[in-house]
Amino acid sequence: MLELVQQITNGVAIGSVYVLIALGLTTVFGILGIAHFAHGSVSMFGGYLVYVLVASQGVSLWLAIPVALIVGMGVGGLIEFLAYRPVRNANHINAFIIALGLTMMVEGINLQLFGADQVVIPTGFDRVFEIAGVTIPETRLYVILAATVLVIAMTAFVEGTKTGQAIRAVAQNRDAAILMGVNVRSIPLIVFAMSTMLGVAAGVMVGSLFAIAPGVGEAMVVKGFAVLILGGLGSIPGAIIGGLVLGVTEALAAGFLSSAYKDVIAFVVMIVVLLFRPQGLLGGAK
Amino acid sequence: MKRRSTIGAGLAAAVLAASTSLAGAAEKDLVVGVSDALTGPAAVYGVPQARAVELAAEEVNAAGGIRLGEDTYKITVLSYDDKANPTEASNSVRKLIDRDGARFLLGFCCSGATGAVASFIQNEDAVMLVGNAAERSITTRGIDNLVRTRPPADYTGAAAGTFVASKGHKRVAVIGALETSFYAMYVDAFEREFVKGGGEIVTREAFGLKDRDMSPQLTKIRALEPDALLVVGYVEPAAFVYRQSVELGLDVPRYGFTSGSEEQFLRVASSEQMEGVWDLRPTELTLQSTGETGRAYHENFTARFGVQPSPSSPYAYDQLYALRDAILKAGTVEDAAAVAKALRELPVPKEAVMQYIPIDGRMFDGNGQAYTTNGAFQWQDGAWVFVQELPSVAEDYSRFLSSIDG
Amino acid sequence: MLEVSGLKAGYGQIEVLHGIDFHVNQGECVALIGANGAGKSTALKTVCGLVKPRGGTVRFQGRDITGASGHEIVRAGITMCPEGRQVFPEMTVLQNLKLGAYTRRDAEQADDLDDMMQMFPILRKRARQAAGTLSGGEQEMLAIARALMARPKVCIFDEPSLGLAPKIVAEVAETIARIKARGMTILLVEQNSLMALKLADRAYLFEVGKVVLEGTGEALQQNPDVARAYLGD
Repeated sequence: MLELVQQITNGVAIGSVYVLIALGLTTVFGILGIAHFAHGSVSMFGGYLVYVLVASQGVSLWLAIPVALIVGMGVGGLIEFLAYRPVRNANHINAFIIALGLTMMVEGINLQLFGADQVVIPTGFDRVFEIAGVTIPETRLYVILAATVLVIAMTAFVEGTKTGQAIRAVAQNRDAAILMGVNVRSIPLIVFAMSTMLGVAAGVMVGSLFAIAPGVGEAMVVKGFAVLILGGLGSIPGAIIGGLVLGVTEALAAGFLSSAYKDVIAFVVMIVVLLFRPQGLLGGAK
Repeated sequence: MKRRSTIGAGLAAAVLAASTSLAGAAEKDLVVGVSDALTGPAAVYGVPQARAVELAAEEVNAAGGIRLGEDTYKITVLSYDDKANPTEASNSVRKLIDRDGARFLLGFCCSGATGAVASFIQNEDAVMLVGNAAERSITTRGIDNLVRTRPPADYTGAAAGTFVASKGHKRVAVIGALETSFYAMYVDAFEREFVKGGGEIVTREAFGLKDRDMSPQLTKIRALEPDALLVVGYVEPAAFVYRQSVELGLDVPRYGFTSGSEEQFLRVASSEQMEGVWDLRPTELTLQSTGETGRAYHENFTARFGVQPSPSSPYAYDQLYALRDAILKAGTVEDAAAVAKALRELPVPKEAVMQYIPIDGRMFDGNGQAYTTNGAFQWQDGAWVFVQELPSVAEDYSRFLSSIDG
Repeated sequence: MLEVSGLKAGYGQIEVLHGIDFHVNQGECVALIGANGAGKSTALKTVCGLVKPRGGTVRFQGRDITGASGHEIVRAGITMCPEGRQVFPEMTVLQNLKLGAYTRRDAEQADDLDDMMQMFPILRKRARQAAGTLSGGEQEMLAIARALMARPKVCIFDEPSLGLAPKIVAEVAETIARIKARGMTILLVEQNSLMALKLADRAYLFEVGKVVLEGTGEALQQNPDVARAYLGD
């Protein structure tokens, strides 16, 4: 029993990272119908940035993270404006190809700027908390807390502000949103800025919990899309639940079956869910 | 990725001119190729090895190069990145032999890539000196033009098993890169000796080369309540295991087989999280365990590259000195077969950093295998401390190795 | 108040509007009638900025708004209640209504919200329900209320009766009459020509992208050609 609770706790921390990655992907997909493959690599760019600021510039972690989040918003906006906006009204395959090309570009930029070595963000968090035999390392606790705060903040933004409501409106009916007076050209900018900021937060978490290296971002984005399909394309609650389900499933699979099949089992669960709910766990039946 | 040692590069043009002149005494260029993992997860072993070869070459050149009769050879090192990948390694060795005219191939940190090259090197007019790659089968195939400075993994694993049993442990949980055969081989040899001492392996948990989250496996291990942990794998995942074991409160003695430097471990885990960890491995470079040559090597390497050498990097450093001695003994740089033969008859070079156990007075045995002592190192206050030698009988193992075919 | 002259528009290679003229005066209810495909809806969409004009001008309160983007036109004071309701299905009725007031920054939005609930009691009952779960008639009421939430100067209705049961159609007509009675300037496109002409002060008859007839609602109802072709006599 203790083992099970511990495995679930392990999984929730990883799942929190998946949630943040998937939230970015799902809002972008919901509003623009774009499979933004470069998301993982851009997120890792943010993680690298924090690493460089902290490890080689001696900047405090508490300053480096906000800086990276703000840079992330800017980068997200730029990606929308320079890469995706020009193909907004073109065939979908164009955005698809742009997304693939952008992934290679950002991976290449990361490699040029930050090198091929793996980096671990030095946090100095090495306390371990214990509750009734279940241990939670400090970093993992902060990851879970930060992800919770970000999810709440994003939900508050989407549900409680006019801009947030406009984002939902554009996702559901673009023309009707225009008739409400929503400037549908600024919405994608905002969505990309927000998504990339969440991605950067996830990148920092990956870099603190584990390590950032070439290929990590691409692996992340694959997991992110698995979460999207699991939770329902474009669904925000779906991304949250899907991310946690994937994280916990992986932990349980590695702990009780075999770590060798960790990734496979996660995808098997995804396929099984889709057999019974083709629209995903929380996807609307359209 | 291609790097040319600065001294060699500077002389290359002059050497070319000199070698075509008819002057009696000429300075000539000797190309030494290095194929190693310079990027990717295995770069923690490959980069220090490539640098170690470069350092040794610079030292030999600075001391006047290699004199053969009238000629003096200055060494030029060409390094290619094989990413520890068999295909990449085969390609880079082909390039070194066919395009760059290299006859002497050094480096080789990793077993998969090394095994691929070993499978065809016998047909080449070249000599291959293997470094850190620990897969046993590399020196059981009877390849005449291949030698290896590092002892096979199971040679060390057996010694480790005896040592851990002597510590009084009965239930050991293993976690490691068990899909890599030499790690599995280390664990098998470990288990044989450990069981003789009355202990048992309670579980074998695997992780992949790129895994960074081993907490599921460690949680499972924690529930089995072992009295010790054995960690075998590359430095980075192993460092995550050590860190996460502390984070999960898995409070048992930890033994490992990883060969990472302090710097490499500290990038992932804190010194507190590493405290008390044992590394049971060939007696590689640590400041306490080495003599004067080792300390000088550590100093020169750090001064030259700005980072400390990894413990296993001297395998490659020693390759170059063994090669130099073999060339001097054979009296040729043209006849690869003669140099290969000379290597097998060589005493341990006086510049060698690792502490080799000579077999019949020779550095390499009939299989082309060298043996170092094995040692137990422990992380104490931020550094690996050499605690004791592990019982290892090189001559017995050498006989055992000869009895294996292929 | 709203003047359209020589307006041309189309989709891809096809031109749908071949230069049309019409105008709406302050406080007036103007209907555009005609057969399916005559270009009525395209005319509205062009006025609202959803379709780019290819020629002609649109002037609103003396200002040239030709080719302005959709959200600018809403800000100028023209709101459309679109064909097929087009509510935001996954959002609640309340959220839909609030989005109607998206461009407003004033403090009276809450009052207007209350006003709409008064006018359409069913919306108060369904306030927390997802708009997609409402019946067609309820969705039409929501769409109308949502348009009014913008406090437009001109409110455009595009086919409000389309796809609704006859009883609901009557309800919609009555609602538009009530809105008109409040002094709202209305531009109405409706296939149900009889209903449109009854509501309208003036009307324009569209045929294949051109205005062929103009007159008061009553005059057009009595025009024998119109009666034969569009009123089903």
